[in-house]
Amino acid sequence: MGDKQTELLQGTLDMLILKTLALGALHGVAVAARIEQVTQGTFQVGPGSLFPALHRMEEKGWLKASWGESETKRKAKFYELTKPGRRQLETEKERWKTISVAVSRALEI
Amino acid sequence: MEFLSRAASFLRNIFRRRHVDRDLDAEVASYFEILMENNMKNGMDEQSARRAARLEVGGGGQVQDEVRHTQAGAWLQTLWQDIRYATRILIKNPTFTLVAVLTFSIGIGANTAIFSMVNGLLLRPVPVPHTEQLTYLVQRHEGWSNGFKYPIMDEIRKQSGDAFSDVAAVVPFQMDGLAANGGSQPIWNEYVTTNFFSLASVTPALGSFMATDTKNIAGNDAVLVLSHAYWQTHFAGDPNIVGHAATLNGRPITIIGVAPKGFRGLTPVFDAQGYVPLGLLASMQGQKPNSDTSSVIVFGRLRDGVDLAKAQSVLAVVAQRLAQEFPKTEKSLVLRAALLGSGIIGGNGANPVPAIAAIFLVLAGLVLALASANVANLLLVRAIARTREMAVRSALGAARGRLVRQVLTETLMLALLGFAGGAALGYIGSRALGSVDLRTDLPLLLDFSFDWHVFMFALGAAGLVSLLAGLVPALRGSRVDLNEVMRESGRGVSSGKQRFRSALVVAQVSGSLTLLIVAGLFVRSMINAQQVDLGFNPNQVVNFGVDAHAGGYDEPRGREFYRTLLERTRTMPGVESASLAATVPMGPISLGGAMHVEGFAETPGQPKPSANMNAVSPAYLKTMGISLLHGRDILESDSETAQHVALVNEVMAQRYWPGQDPIGHQFSTGEDFKNVIQVVGVVKNSHTSSLSETIDPAYYVPMMQEYRAAQTLQVRSSVAPSTAMQAVRGLVRSLDTNVPVFDVRTMNDALNGMDGLLLYRMGAGLAGMLGLLGFILAVIGVYGVMSYSAAQRTREIGIRVALGAKPAQVLKIVFRQGLFIVGLGLVIGTAVALALGKVVAGFLVGVGGADPLTYLVVGIAMTVAALTACFVPARRAMKVDPMIALRYE
Repeated sequence: MGDKQTELLQGTLDMLILKTLALGALHGVAVAARIEQVTQGTFQVGPGSLFPALHRMEEKGWLKASWGESETKRKAKFYELTKPGRRQLETEKERWKTISVAVSRALEI
Repeated sequence: MEFLSRAASFLRNIFRRRHVDRDLDAEVASYFEILMENNMKNGMDEQSARRAARLEVGGGGQVQDEVRHTQAGAWLQTLWQDIRYATRILIKNPTFTLVAVLTFSIGIGANTAIFSMVNGLLLRPVPVPHTEQLTYLVQRHEGWSNGFKYPIMDEIRKQSGDAFSDVAAVVPFQMDGLAANGGSQPIWNEYVTTNFFSLASVTPALGSFMATDTKNIAGNDAVLVLSHAYWQTHFAGDPNIVGHAATLNGRPITIIGVAPKGFRGLTPVFDAQGYVPLGLLASMQGQKPNSDTSSVIVFGRLRDGVDLAKAQSVLAVVAQRLAQEFPKTEKSLVLRAALLGSGIIGGNGANPVPAIAAIFLVLAGLVLALASANVANLLLVRAIARTREMAVRSALGAARGRLVRQVLTETLMLALLGFAGGAALGYIGSRALGSVDLRTDLPLLLDFSFDWHVFMFALGAAGLVSLLAGLVPALRGSRVDLNEVMRESGRGVSSGKQRFRSALVVAQVSGSLTLLIVAGLFVRSMINAQQVDLGFNPNQVVNFGVDAHAGGYDEPRGREFYRTLLERTRTMPGVESASLAATVPMGPISLGGAMHVEGFAETPGQPKPSANMNAVSPAYLKTMGISLLHGRDILESDSETAQHVALVNEVMAQRYWPGQDPIGHQFSTGEDFKNVIQVVGVVKNSHTSSLSETIDPAYYVPMMQEYRAAQTLQVRSSVAPSTAMQAVRGLVRSLDTNVPVFDVRTMNDALNGMDGLLLYRMGAGLAGMLGLLGFILAVIGVYGVMSYSAAQRTREIGIRVALGAKPAQVLKIVFRQGLFIVGLGLVIGTAVALALGKVVAGFLVGVGGADPLTYLVVGIAMTVAALTACFVPARRAMKVDPMIALRYE
């Protein structure tokens, strides 16, 4: 999935990242891999959209970043959800449900 | 919460930029490494793993850039970038930058300085509560005047209570001698009715004001209120001053209070040093009581909720009633109230200041308009020259908003630099105007200090122009059809814009021609004024103001004092002649008035006979170098008790005794024309009150027959003026330390004062400066447009030359456009100048508002300058090498 589509789905990307991090702290590559895996390859998040999203959410206070070590003992930056981040995830979920229900209904008619 | 977090990030991004960047770099690097590791884990060899990772992450900090755009404070980064870029561009084009900034500065600076002056003279409100309620009254008999007789004023006060809560009267500009701790000091007092301070709504800084008796508001208590400034300078702010016994003009008086700081009375320009009840005026000035020859200025405070229109209707009723009550004197009385601060008092034709101020405001406004037009022009020209740059940047992916912002940043930076320069110029200018030496000891308050309101106005006007001038091309430039611009280069310029710029230049040429013509008129007028035959010889004469009355002398002792003073002065070394006079030419005092001339038939409807008067001692003609044409001089024998005599000037002789020998004829002056005066001599005309061509009738009477408490000792001597000044000051001191000496200056200096050459000098200087500014701006404007349009046509000219056009023909092409623009500007400018000249004519000496010489000289100068400005680019065009012109791009 290219950058252009990501722009359209910026809210979606945020939600996916928040959801991915809800289970625990991850570094950037792991976040991208997890999203790809969970969506079964539908969403391939490149660093060009992943990094801005992570930093934006960090600046908003939804994520907390800290340096740590990867499984292979490499220095990597780990992101984890903060309390506001968790709240935001709930909000996003609600919003998504409303939208998806609405859109599905619209398409069923 | 979210906001706090963003704010913290913002601060971190701004202040720990390097740290944030390094952290980001490390993060991206680690991402790359882990990606590569994962790839290798999936079975790739190291090289392809690296390539795949590189492909995903990209190079050259792309990811970092993306992140930076989303970071808090990104706009500030962009702004900083824009500013740096703009600075580079401005520095790279120093001529453009300098011209634009200077143009801005000149327009704003000149305007600010002159507006400050007008503001100080006319508009600035007096520092008292509710100034919007304060009015001054004017009356019309034959012409409008702000001088009232006290009894009439008192009637108005009693009858206009519906409109005014208070009506008070003042007589400003009275010099008295105040002796408080030995030795008398001059003090310039304002004589006021006792309700003056309640009208002004001010409270004393110390002590109290005069007690008000509504039956008799003139007041008779011998009390004095000092101004705050005088109290500070002459009594060192002594807190025990209240109740201090002193003498004013030798009469006991008690200091009862100090006016609040900054309060200077309500009379504009006059910085009153003390306030004395009006009822004391006659006795303090040595006049007979109840001689209501002096007139008072009347102020009224509107009641709450009463507007000016209501006040006018109340005054109309009062005027009608007064006309019926005093049919003899007030038959055709018309009363009006005018808001204080809506113009200087007396600004109804009698006082030229508002008209002059208005003229200069118009001129300064013209300069601002010229400057704005110039800047707009420069920016337009440049924007078009940069169309290509804009197109290239746009093609490389710059967003439109970004381009607009970039251009605006540049324009605003120019404007800011201009504002700074303008503020400095305006400050210096208003300081220079305010520090003009008025050559008088009168405490005049010419507060032309730099005014922020004025500055903001000029700044706003110029700012708006620059914004528009910057925004329009920026929007246009960012919307251009890339293809067209890239392909056609400079030819993609619409002719509409060219026409707009040409119109701007026409406006500039005509505006600056107008400015120059007016400036020329003022300068010629000043030269004429300086060359006017004064009718007397001011060289080697020194004036000394002496006031025996302020030293406590009554009339008999005063006469004795002046006789001794004159005798002693005449024996001083180097003194050729010494005499006393009531007024000096161009001085602040003018005497004279209505008279009755025996045998002169008064035509109804024509002004009644009147003449200027001066009281002088014998030898006055010798001191002043005025020639006696006929008859005899004033002699010692023309004493108090002898037949009253006079010398008349040529104008008076011709007007009232045409074709006759005036000697032996009589005229009468004073109250009921009881003072009969016989003409004994005719003297040469001299300019006594102004330098304009018309000389008024004037006569001189012996000081012995028309005693004045304050006199001016005039000394013609062969020693240096400073020596004479010191000697005479010492002489007066040795006679009596209580007699103040003031206004000591050479006659030539005095001539340059307020009523003499000073106004002409200031006028000529100001107009000349504005004219020069306009001239420079116009030349810049013409040059800018011509050289730009020539540059635009380089290709065309190149083709023409290649096809065999001769240099002269090329010159003609470029010149024709310039000629047309300049010619049109000249025609319009002349028309405007003629209109303005009519207004200015009243202030000119020896030159009309349509003086052909001025118009011709200025017109030629303007044409030559403008054509030179056309010629430079035309010559450049002429030398165009077709090869280079066509190969370009």
